[in-house]
Amino acid sequence: MRFAEHPILGTFPRGRKVTVLVDGQEVEAFEGEMIAFALHADGIKTLHWTAKRNEPRGIFCAIGHCTDCMMIVDGVPNVRACITPVREGMRIETQHGRGEWRKQNEKS
Amino acid sequence: MRKVEVAVVGAGPAGLTVASEIANRGGKVLILDENAKPGGQLFKQLHKFFGSSRHLAKERGFKIAQSLVQQAQEAGVEIWFDAIVIGIFEDRVLGVVHKGKLQKLQADRIVLATGASEKALAFPGWTLPGVMGAGAAQTMMNIHGILPGKRILMVGSGNVGLIVSYQLLQAGAKVEAVVEAAPKVGGYQVHADKIRRIGVPIYLSYTVKEAFGDSRVEGAILIQLDENGRPIAGTEREIAVDTVCLAVGLSPMAELTWVAGCQFTYINDLGGQVPLHNEAMATTVPGIYVAGDVAGIGEASSAIEEGRLAGIAIAADLGYLPNSEAEHLKEQTRKELDALRQGPVGGRVGQAKRALLDAHATYIARQAGREVKERAEATWTGSAPEAPRARAEVPSAERRAQGPVAVIECYEEIPCDPCEEACHQGAIFVGEPITSLPHLKAERCNGCGLCIPACPGLAIFVIDESYSEDEATIMLPYEFLPLPHKGMTVKALDLQGQLVGEARVLEVRNPKAYDCTPVIKIAVSKELSMTVRHIALDEPKERSTV
Amino acid sequence: MDKEVVICRCEEVTRAQIEEAIERGLCTPRDIKQWTRAGMGLCQGCTCRSLICQIVAEKLALEVSEVSPLTFRPPVRHIKLKELAGLGGNDK
Repeated sequence: MRFAEHPILGTFPRGRKVTVLVDGQEVEAFEGEMIAFALHADGIKTLHWTAKRNEPRGIFCAIGHCTDCMMIVDGVPNVRACITPVREGMRIETQHGRGEWRKQNEKS
Repeated sequence: MRKVEVAVVGAGPAGLTVASEIANRGGKVLILDENAKPGGQLFKQLHKFFGSSRHLAKERGFKIAQSLVQQAQEAGVEIWFDAIVIGIFEDRVLGVVHKGKLQKLQADRIVLATGASEKALAFPGWTLPGVMGAGAAQTMMNIHGILPGKRILMVGSGNVGLIVSYQLLQAGAKVEAVVEAAPKVGGYQVHADKIRRIGVPIYLSYTVKEAFGDSRVEGAILIQLDENGRPIAGTEREIAVDTVCLAVGLSPMAELTWVAGCQFTYINDLGGQVPLHNEAMATTVPGIYVAGDVAGIGEASSAIEEGRLAGIAIAADLGYLPNSEAEHLKEQTRKELDALRQGPVGGRVGQAKRALLDAHATYIARQAGREVKERAEATWTGSAPEAPRARAEVPSAERRAQGPVAVIECYEEIPCDPCEEACHQGAIFVGEPITSLPHLKAERCNGCGLCIPACPGLAIFVIDESYSEDEATIMLPYEFLPLPHKGMTVKALDLQGQLVGEARVLEVRNPKAYDCTPVIKIAVSKELSMTVRHIALDEPKERSTV
Repeated sequence: MDKEVVICRCEEVTRAQIEEAIERGLCTPRDIKQWTRAGMGLCQGCTCRSLICQIVAEKLALEVSEVSPLTFRPPVRHIKLKELAGLGGNDK
């Protein structure tokens, strides 16, 4: 959930709306948002499933250190979603384990 | 390989300050920060800071950040963003990945101002989506305007846990509980009061036993601890939450300091492993300095002063400042640091810092083969805290019946004095040391309420028991949305957030000068004048979303 | 139940596995890392290093300050091979 007004910060400034694909589904986000947070605002909390125990992971540190937020972005695995901003048309996939490189046949 | 005069790693409060100090005196400084924007953690801090009104007090953290960035830019400091320092090698060479390429920089002096990282607490379910660091919650709501969750459990009642809980409430979340493993609150009492009076319970000697849910947090189990910190079977209680925030402490982010070869020591009160440094912030590696949280966990105000100290030392070392002037400036800065490191929270840090300086001096002496004295050569011992003044007294019933008067509910020694400056009647006195409890000269107070928004702890109220025969008025700070409006009936809550009656809203003051701390005047039954400390709107409207 | 808690989130090493390593005689975080891979994952121990130290201190009845911590080595942050390869040649 994104809030419109904040008692200290006033109206939250947001970039222009963009559409990204998350596991094939269209999700709306705002330019300037990090992937993980845009997904969170849309109710998507699981970003990757672990290699050994197949357990769900999401946002933990939110500063690019813990690597729990890894997703496959535009075909590239192990992208830290909490420090990578969204872009119009970005293809985002939930990563399983260490992830796989996708064929580079659909350039953005 | 590019040569730089001074390389600073980290564009947070310490890094920006050290850079400005050197650049303003003619030095050439390059700051390298791994983030896309400067300011470190400061931009996430929405609250008004404690401190001296001569310095930063009363300013919101993100505004302090803006001003530090501006100062650095005006001083001609060069800053590289998305610049990741991956190592520090011999002869003060830094390896930096910037714009897709690894580069080497050779610096005459290096300052490591890399800040802190959040500690972790492991428990069953801690890896579920929905368990996150308190810093993560702050980033989401204060930088991106995204609510981390609707029902929160906060683990830890240090200043971070208390402040982030308050910010979560401001963002529209419900903080179901704060749990604290120790038998007392870790942070300042005024921060705890701010959330208690909203109805957030703080469970002392409690911890989180487990978080559970089907692929995301749906609830948590709390458990009580005995006097040895062991869980007491049978005291479990379940709460329904969708988010568990961990605020269990910070430790220095010391990777670079380590690979640079600096010596470390373990001091619990500074966050764990900390690099040894002397009173000018120089580490055991020649030409490498530290400042801010990486040199021991503290507050932003001390990070700024340590940056200043390191900056002065380096400027003198490089010939931009005569030594005599540098010594004088360093002495002044140390006094400021001493003043900040007093009181129940700051005092512990002050002591821990003195232990760190001792450890550094011992190390240096041992290296030189010298005999180690009991209390080594550290010249900066810090001033001993003075005994606190008499407690700020509550104005007598007689005085309260005469007309409006301020009630200052600040009972801890915090290095803070903006209330004194805010009062135009000269009715509030803090004086020296700055940790003295504020003293109200009730006869001078005219109840104007200017002190209310000035108090960073939001701990001042103006009571008027002369309002009418049956009613008294209370002016209180209210930093939430939606704001009530004149004429509304609202719920009246006590310091524990318990409903004690109703209140009528008489006035809502929110001028720009109050800097987003509106002051609400309410009318309550007279017997509640010293009990009511917060209000809740009868039907909280759903916050508008985007 | 506590023992099955994951301590190293990246390599999914549980408390039970770490305690088992200590019982085998691996008494420093470094030894434990080499045996269990705890601290070797993508985050290089940034989350778990202090937890490992705490477990060692508890099991061996030491103060945390007496446990030699995991060290750091460059690169201290993630780096792509192509970024490394960009170095050399026209070294500015």
